This record gives sequence, C-alpha cells and structure tokens, in this order.
Amino acid sequence: MRSRQSTGFLLASPWILTFLAFWLFPLLYSLVLSFTNYRLLRPSFDWVGFQNFIQLFSDTAFLESLKNTFIFVFGTIPVTTIIALLMAVLLDKRFKGRTLFRSGFFMPSITSMVVIALIFTNLYSRGGYIFILAQMAGLAPPENGYLLSNKTALFSIMAMDIWMSVGYYMLLFLAGLKSIPVELYEAADVAGAGRWRKFWSITLPLLKPVSLFIIVINTIKSFQVFIEIFVMTKGKYGSSSAVYYIYESGLSRFEFGYASAAAYVLLLIIAVFSYLQFKLMKQGRI
Amino acid sequence: MNHELYSRTMNTRKYLFALIIISILGISGCTGGGKKGGATTLDWWQFWTDPAIKPTIEKIVADYESKNPGIKINLTDLTWGDGHEKIVVAFSSGTAPDIVELGSDWILEFSSNGQLAPIGKEIVTDTGKFYGWPPAIYNGDIYAFPWILGTRVLFINRGLVKQTGLDSNFVPSNWDQLKKLCYKIDSLGGGIRGFGSNAAEKHTLYKKFLPFFWSNGGRIISEDGKYAVISSDKGLDALEFYKELSDSCGMIDTQRRLEDAFLAGKVGVIISGDWLLKRIRNEKINIDFVTGLIPGPQYPGKSFVGGEYLAVSEKSQNKPEALDFIKYLTNRENELIFCKANFSANPSNKETAREKFFTDDPALQTFIMQMNLSKFPPPDPQWVYIEDIIETMLENVLFNGRPAAESLYDARNKIQKLIDEKK
Repeated sequence: MRSRQSTGFLLASPWILTFLAFWLFPLLYSLVLSFTNYRLLRPSFDWVGFQNFIQLFSDTAFLESLKNTFIFVFGTIPVTTIIALLMAVLLDKRFKGRTLFRSGFFMPSITSMVVIALIFTNLYSRGGYIFILAQMAGLAPPENGYLLSNKTALFSIMAMDIWMSVGYYMLLFLAGLKSIPVELYEAADVAGAGRWRKFWSITLPLLKPVSLFIIVINTIKSFQVFIEIFVMTKGKYGSSSAVYYIYESGLSRFEFGYASAAAYVLLLIIAVFSYLQFKLMKQGRI
Repeated sequence: MNHELYSRTMNTRKYLFALIIISILGISGCTGGGKKGGATTLDWWQFWTDPAIKPTIEKIVADYESKNPGIKINLTDLTWGDGHEKIVVAFSSGTAPDIVELGSDWILEFSSNGQLAPIGKEIVTDTGKFYGWPPAIYNGDIYAFPWILGTRVLFINRGLVKQTGLDSNFVPSNWDQLKKLCYKIDSLGGGIRGFGSNAAEKHTLYKKFLPFFWSNGGRIISEDGKYAVISSDKGLDALEFYKELSDSCGMIDTQRRLEDAFLAGKVGVIISGDWLLKRIRNEKINIDFVTGLIPGPQYPGKSFVGGEYLAVSEKSQNKPEALDFIKYLTNRENELIFCKANFSANPSNKETAREKFFTDDPALQTFIMQMNLSKFPPPDPQWVYIEDIIETMLENVLFNGRPAAESLYDARNKIQKLIDEKK
C-alpha cells in the first residue's frame, strides 16, 4: 500500500514540482514583491507596505489603462455573447452548407492572435481595405488610419476581438443547444407556442449554464487583453490596457514590485467580477 | 506520529529531495563560458542575426579564433524584440555572458548598477580614435566600447522636388527652406505629402523631434544634471515648428510605413537612418533621392545618434581576453568589413570612416558629416523614464491637441521630480 502511494506520488511529482515552482511560488512571490520597491538589476529592495497600491491609484497612466480595460470588457462581452448566441441558433438548423458556415465562423478562433492582429493592422491603416471601404461608404475614416487616432484605436481593436472570438463562443452555444431535450420543443409545439416563445421560454433558460461559463471565461479573457494591443498599437492612442500597463512596468521598466501590485489589483477585480457573475446567475438575474 | 506515517513521510521527502537535486544539476549544467581544457571560452551575446550580416560576424570570429588559438568565442544571437529583457535577466541572475552588445541607451542602466566592468584604464589610448563615448561614461569611467553607430539624416525625393519646379539638387539647410520645400511638395496634390511625420511609436517619435529641439539650442537637463530645462523658449519654438510641419504637410504614420511611402513617391521628405540606404540597395528600389543634413533654424543643425556598444560583464572571469576581442572587432579592418557587408554608414572607428568606401559615396558621406553634428540623449540612468515623459508630451501636443507650452512645462516638472528623487 505504502509502495503504491509512493509510486503514485513519484509519478505525479513532475506535475507537483512544476506546479510549485512555476505557478504557486511565482504567485506568492509576486504578492510579496507587491509590497516592496523591487527592481530587477537593483541589488537590494525595501519593504514599502501599501505604497505601491496607493501610488497606483494616483497614477494616471494606470487609471487610464484600467478605464480602457473596463470599456473593452463591457463593450465586447455583451456584443460577442449576443452575436454568438444568434449565430448558434441559426446554425443549429439544418440547411445546405451549414458545416461550411460553422467552420468558417470558427476559423478565426484557431488562428494565431498575432497573425490576425497583423492582418487587421493593415486593414485598418490608411490605404487598407477597411479604410478604403469606409471612405467609399462616406464614413470619413480618421486621416491616418483607425489605429493612429485616439477616437478609434481602442474601438477598432474591440471590433477585431469580437470578430475573432465570436466563433468560439458560437461553438459552445451550439453544444449547449444540442443538450436541450427535443421533447420540450415538441411539447411546446403541441401547446401552440411560436418560435419566439420557444426561444424565450425553453432555449434561453436552458442555455443558462453555458451562458454563465461563456460570460465568466470571456470576462477573464477580456480583462487580460494584451496581445492585440501589443501588436497593433503598443498601448498608444488611448488603447493601453491593464495587462499592457503591467507588461510595460514589469518587463520594460523592470519595476517588479510596482508591476506586481498592479497585477494583484487586476486579479482582485477579475475575482470580484467572476464572483458577482456567479452570484447573479444563481439568483436568476442574468 | 505512528511509524507507518513517519516512514511514508520520509520516503516522500527522499523522492522530493532527489527530484530537486536532479533539477538543480540539470539547470546548472546549462551555463557555459569560462576555461575548459586549457582553452578560454568567451560568451558573446549579439544582435546581428540578419542572414546578410551573420556570416560576416562568424567570419570575423573565426579569423580571431585562428589568430588566437587559446580562445574560443561562443556566439549567442539576440533579437531586438526581447534581447533587452534577456540581458537584464542574465545580469540580475548572475549568468551574463563575458561580452554583450548593448544599445547606447541601455549602458547606464547596467553600469550604474555595477553589472559592467569599467574599462577606462585599458582603453585610454583609444578614446581619441573613436566616436561615441558619451553614453559609455558613468562616474568618470568608461563601461562600453562604441562599435557601430547610427545617426539620422534627411532623405529627399528628387523626383518630387523636380515636379515642384525647384532644382532637383535642392537640399534645405535651414528651417525656412525645409518648410517651403515640404509645402511645395505637399501642394502637388494626388495624395502626396510634404513631410514624413512619425506617429506615436514607442522609442521612435522622440528621436525625430530631438534633432529640431537640439538644433534650436534646447536642452533636456542642465549641464550639471540638477535641473530639468526642457521647457525653455528654444524648446517651445522647436516644438511649435515641428507641430506646424506635421499638421500642415505631414503624413503621419509609423517609421516603416513612412519609409514605404517615401520609396513609393508618396512623401517628399523624411528623416531616416542608414537602414533605408541598405533597403534601397538590397531591394534594388528605383528611386531618385538625395540625403541632406538635418536643418537647423539658420544652418545645418544637430541630429540624434545612437548605436551598438560592446561591454564586458563585471563577473566575467576573462576580462582581458574579452577586451582584446572587443578591440579586434572594432579595429579599422573589421569595422570596414562589417560596414561593407551591412551597408552601415557610421563606424565608431574614425580611421574606418575615412576609408574610400565612405568618402566615395555621397549618401554615406552625409551620414559621416552628420555624425559630427549629432547628439546622444543625456546620459542618465533614468533615461527610460525621461524618454517616456518626452514621448507622452509629444503625443499630447501632436495628436491630442494640448498646448505646447503647457505640455513642455508638465514634462519639465515630471523630469525634475525624477532628478529630485535621485538625490
């Protein structure tokens, strides 16, 4: 018995060691660092208590990046979720070419974010297709392209993010739709319910677990938006996000203490939002 | 604790201990350098990974090894994308190579933290023979050896100049002439713009503004390093001139896209470096262009210069050998071989700069002449923050409509705060 346990422990130890060394230790270590003025290259550092956290909330660049992150989260999640749901409902029906549409919509989700961001950087730039189409439609795009304007940079990245992620959530909704018993729809048909009635009274309530999952993971992902911003704007033109700010502080200026504090503020925000979403969903408010 | 539980815990501990030891041995086995079997191995981290230049680097290294049988050079390539991070991590973890190539604005970051070996005494006779010492000096000693430098000059599309009715050989030498030329090109219409004005691109925008700022006599920090003086009348005039040029006839875009537009005949005048000459040559681009010195308010003005430096790690066990290799890399012949292969316009070695390769090429000559009229950013360990402040100020003025005087004053206060904190 003892030997079996030891063998089991030995077999699991690569994972345990990896978990301890590369997950738990950095997580706790960065919590400790967030209370210090640690900078890489500096031979020593001091304990500064909550100074980093206090400084963060008077740092206009951090507050700006936090504001942008909230705009990103609240701007993309509802749109992404609604479009994904509508697409899933439409593609759940049988029609010719359905698989092609499903694959096509899902394709961006399996493409590298960097590749997509680079393509969209060109599409949005002066002379890019989106820029030219907007000109042809009389929409007066920004003179230097969508990503070189304070008014449009962040929203352009958000639009790209919605386009990219909607296929993945559509697939999750499709899986959720498959799990709804057909008998419920048949019973509703017998009772004379129309399409809208069935959607509101059967489809939507029974998709609640999937919706919760989608909203929670999309919230976490959106709060951590980074790659798009790094590739497309480097945080310029009012598009910096909280994670981009953390990256700049930690890996550009090497202020590990300050960056750790910012990371923990973000962690706390994500935790609060995830908790609230679970709570509201349980109470049936969303 | 009963015997069985105790024994189980001990077994578990043994396994864990063994795993940790194996991991540590594995990791420590990865480090290199030092002396092996009588031969000295020098680790060198460098950034020249382009297939057009890497073989030249390897050839220079091979030649050095054949002339110095006891020395082996272990080359490691870095990329500009994450090279800085890797160097910082290596220094802070004590695993830095013997020799490391550094950007001019990184040297103080490492020398002020004691990571680089002072080399002033060993190279005192070389200082007069090379350009580019200011960024390498900290507390009166030298911590890096200048290798390949890079200044910026004007690139003018002669075809567009001709279309305006001006002589196609016209090169502006002062601000008025530059403005008139850009306006004339801009008035050609058809989407052609006069001046290539940089967008808010990190580490780039300030390099295009500082030539105007310096040419007008502006300073960022006072000579004694005690005061931020960026917010002066001269600084304000330069900023307003640059903004006027940018607003009225500027194509605003990233450096790469401005160069694309210049090569496509869509913008008349841009500020760029020798990489554009290399691109024109390598891609065989058919463009009628001329290079010119950066204009000042009255006469040719000052430009920005940066470059690649070679430094020895303070923890290196092979400092004399490392320095000897650096001297070999930067000697007249090897800098010439390098510049020819890479089409670099600004060797640090003054003897190399007098070679026929440079004197016979008018475009390269512009770079050599501009080098004598160029400035490095003020050597300050906090430059990374100062750069950020200047770029934010420029973004606010050029793209967010904030008044120039107010933004300069704001930048002055922020830089002064950094100086005061340092005290």
